[in-house]
Amino acid sequence: MSAEPYVEALLVGALCGVVGVHVVLRRLSFFTMAMTHATFPGVVLAAIVGIDLLLGSGLFGVLVVLGVTWLSSRPRSDPSAAVGVVLSAGFALGVALLSAQAGFTRDLSAYLVGSILTVRTGDLVKTAVVLAVVLAVLAAVGKELVLGAFDRGGLVALGYPARRLDLLLLLLIELTVVTSVPAVGTILAVALVVAPAATARLWCDRVGPMTAVAAGVGMASGLVGLAVSQVAAVAAGAAIVLAACGFFVVSVLVAPRHGALARFRARPAAAPAGVA
Amino acid sequence: MVRLLVEPFESPFMARALVEALLLGVVGAVVSVFVVLRRLAFVSDALTHTVFPGVVIGYLVAETDGIVWGALAFAVLSAVLLTLLAVNARVTEDATLAILLTGFFAVGVILVSRRSSYTADLTAFLFGRILTVDRQQIILTAVIGAVVLLTLALLGKELVLRAFDPDGAAARGYRVLALDLALNLVVALVVVASVRAVGTVLVIALLVVPGAAARLLSDRLAVIVVLAAAIGALGGWLGLAASYEASVNHGLRLASGATVVLALVALYAVAAAVGAVRSSGRLAFASGGLSSERAP
Repeated sequence: MSAEPYVEALLVGALCGVVGVHVVLRRLSFFTMAMTHATFPGVVLAAIVGIDLLLGSGLFGVLVVLGVTWLSSRPRSDPSAAVGVVLSAGFALGVALLSAQAGFTRDLSAYLVGSILTVRTGDLVKTAVVLAVVLAVLAAVGKELVLGAFDRGGLVALGYPARRLDLLLLLLIELTVVTSVPAVGTILAVALVVAPAATARLWCDRVGPMTAVAAGVGMASGLVGLAVSQVAAVAAGAAIVLAACGFFVVSVLVAPRHGALARFRARPAAAPAGVA
Repeated sequence: MVRLLVEPFESPFMARALVEALLLGVVGAVVSVFVVLRRLAFVSDALTHTVFPGVVIGYLVAETDGIVWGALAFAVLSAVLLTLLAVNARVTEDATLAILLTGFFAVGVILVSRRSSYTADLTAFLFGRILTVDRQQIILTAVIGAVVLLTLALLGKELVLRAFDPDGAAARGYRVLALDLALNLVVALVVVASVRAVGTVLVIALLVVPGAAARLLSDRLAVIVVLAAAIGALGGWLGLAASYEASVNHGLRLASGATVVLALVALYAVAAAVGAVRSSGRLAFASGGLSSERAP
């Protein structure tokens, strides 16, 4: 097999890991899930009209971000329900559009579970450019975004445009999602965003190291998953996701201080001395 | 209009599809009210995905008859896991949910990807085939629906109390964890009942949209439940009719499950518009009242 899928897996893994840190810190997993589903009609529309798929889903994703933000701000409507509605609407629209085309099932499964084995050099360039853009933005305003995650009131008090920073972060997530969907698919992309960052959260207390570990775990998941899928002849996207989930499950058990084992061992120490 | 809404259902397969869609629409809608109240949209979405490997394993073991049982086993397993995971602290619930749902789903995809009829199978499992439901399946849906509605009727008060005041519910001696598990199981049952008809991916619409739409129209729980049930049923009917009309008379194939969801979303949009008009009317009335008070 050529090297392209492996390079793509590394790039997408790093991209998702870095952005995932902010998703995990701000509890935006469901929003990310909705983005993966709701940008789906954008991909289909782009394929029908004949423009670049990434561009199509990217533009559509901007609409979705605005839709979720607007719906969440309505009276009597909470973000969770708004995200649920947008998610269902986007996904159903994509399926309906696609069902009107020929070759329904084959194309659909490529979107749903990804087709990393068919990436070309052009795709690699796009992913690399997106990664560079995301890293540049995070280098510029990363500190403010982290402050916003932990202490939004403080961010506002310091005079930062908090709402605009929120929107910027949502757009970064959207960009990440549309870039990684072709590789691991609509349904599974959220795993590559959330799992490496959640894994890193169990090992690190500071955001800097957490970002580095998340990127590392993301890339490792990509490589391990791809290699396993080649050996066992199973779907590549799903294998990558299972690798990422595997890192998380192991960390939940063995991570120092926050892992289940460490907490179990720490418990007798907290008990009265006479008991031990 | 009558032609569009009634004629498609004269053929037996469309009539059966309609019965199934109405049943699922009503049951899903009643559950969706609790889903929206408890903000369980993401938990429901997770359940729709975690059931997927069960669907695949059930199919591999006993063809189409096994689907419901495989789904049921995984639904119970994941409802228990989700309830327990919500207790953990360091990694937030939403991240754990995302990882659990994609992990389970990936197992399902890997199992399907070993089959030669990979893509066709995947599509059927994910989107269901409402046009091929048989009498037996409708009966099963009705039974599951009855169990769900009965559970909600028995536990409704406690679930509402737990939704608005978990501490109060705990203080009165209710077991909050048990109530949470009960609601998660109810959601899981709806997913199981819907799997063969609308597939695992679009069930989330049945479990969120009617409740969210009805919530925009009223503040009273009883009214919300009735409105949601009406919206769920109407969405199923309109969606099937639209899909049939487009496919048969206009040569535009529209997947029936997806069209039902789009009909539900359209009803949500209508509810949002009505809600906005009514609340702006109320605001205008209120501000009018204020200004008249200020006037000497």
